[in-house]
Amino acid sequence: MVSRMAKGSPSVSEPTYFILASLLDGPLHGHGIIKQTLALSEGRVRLPVGTLYGALDRLAANGLITVDREETVDGRPRRYFRLTDPGRNLVSAEALRMQQAAAVVTSRILRPGSAFS
Amino acid sequence: MTVATRSPTVTGAGASALERWYRWLLRSYPRDYRNGHGDEIVATLLETAEPGRALPSPRESLSLVAAGFRARVAHAARGPAWADALHLGILAVSVAHLAVLVPYATSVPLWVGLSALAVLLVMRGRVRLALPVTLLVATKIGAITLGRPWLDATLLPVRRDPVWSGEHGDVLYGAGGGTLYGAGGPVAPMLGYALVAGGLLVLAVRAPRPRPRSWLWWAAVPALAGADPAGLDFADGPGALTAARVAVEIGLLCLAAHAGRVARDPRWAAAAGIYLVPVCAVYAENLGAHPVQDLAHLAVLVLLTALAAGLPYHARQHALL
Repeated sequence: MVSRMAKGSPSVSEPTYFILASLLDGPLHGHGIIKQTLALSEGRVRLPVGTLYGALDRLAANGLITVDREETVDGRPRRYFRLTDPGRNLVSAEALRMQQAAAVVTSRILRPGSAFS
Repeated sequence: MTVATRSPTVTGAGASALERWYRWLLRSYPRDYRNGHGDEIVATLLETAEPGRALPSPRESLSLVAAGFRARVAHAARGPAWADALHLGILAVSVAHLAVLVPYATSVPLWVGLSALAVLLVMRGRVRLALPVTLLVATKIGAITLGRPWLDATLLPVRRDPVWSGEHGDVLYGAGGGTLYGAGGPVAPMLGYALVAGGLLVLAVRAPRPRPRSWLWWAAVPALAGADPAGLDFADGPGALTAARVAVEIGLLCLAAHAGRVARDPRWAAAAGIYLVPVCAVYAENLGAHPVQDLAHLAVLVLLTALAAGLPYHARQHALL
């Protein structure tokens, strides 16, 4: 299933992966996504705002996320984004693919008797 | 559903100065995008800014400008690609035609004015009006290159205005280079005008009215003006005009390549290819007369156009979300 998904869909960059992953628990607005991706990636993915909204536009155009609702806070508009089913499928498939790829290495280095165990 | 609430926000003089900077940087986005999402992006920028910051960080600034360019490219990559490419290509050729005439403005003011009108009409997407104006100018240019007194009496050769020649004019433009189409034959200029006229005819008949283009195209006219279309003559002394022409051409082709990669769309490469047709015709018509520097210039243009054509396909095959 993983290879079929990878063949039929574009690759997912690391920032995009964490953006999608940050929306797994529910809708978030821009600043919320930035904080969540920073936390999920343990400080590795620090998204600039321009990059974030560019990625959100592309993901929405590809039907992977959608606007859940809009709020106005202190006179400024704020959109909350949520995952669509294709978005949830894509990030799940990507996670499985990476898990499978990681297992190729971890199954060897953690095997009893290996040089790394 | 839209809900109105209040939350703690960054306030104070620093925040307002920072907001002004962010709004200035947001000008890299298309106007429609700014109107739709500008306030939201600024709010997020202010929320993520460190306390006390009065200037945007270089990282955030670069990100905004790059994202703005991406949004502009996405905004531009709409509608049928072939019609858009054709319109853009003939606009570039029309601008080059006007640029050739500008240094002769006091000698042939009527034709420089009509050429500028043609550029304006092409730029605003008024292709049906641009077609007769272009044909009129093309007829006069044909007359000048063939030495015929068509349409009006013009004293040949047509010499540059003094402000464009200067004391080193002969050195900069070479023998005959200081006269209008004096260093080349009639085929290349006629091919260029035929290309524009044919393109306008196709757009007038087959396509919806092209959208207006940026007024920034006018800025290319003085940059390209004065450079002899028949050659650059680097060997005789590269002047500021020649350097400006090469810089504008290379800059625009790099932009075309980058836009094609970002949008995964070949329309800018196709437009660059249209611009290259009369350029190649100049080199073909004057085969053997060009120094190696001129040939290197042509090679750079061809390579950049090929790069612009290849990048969209490469980007499609290696698409990253």
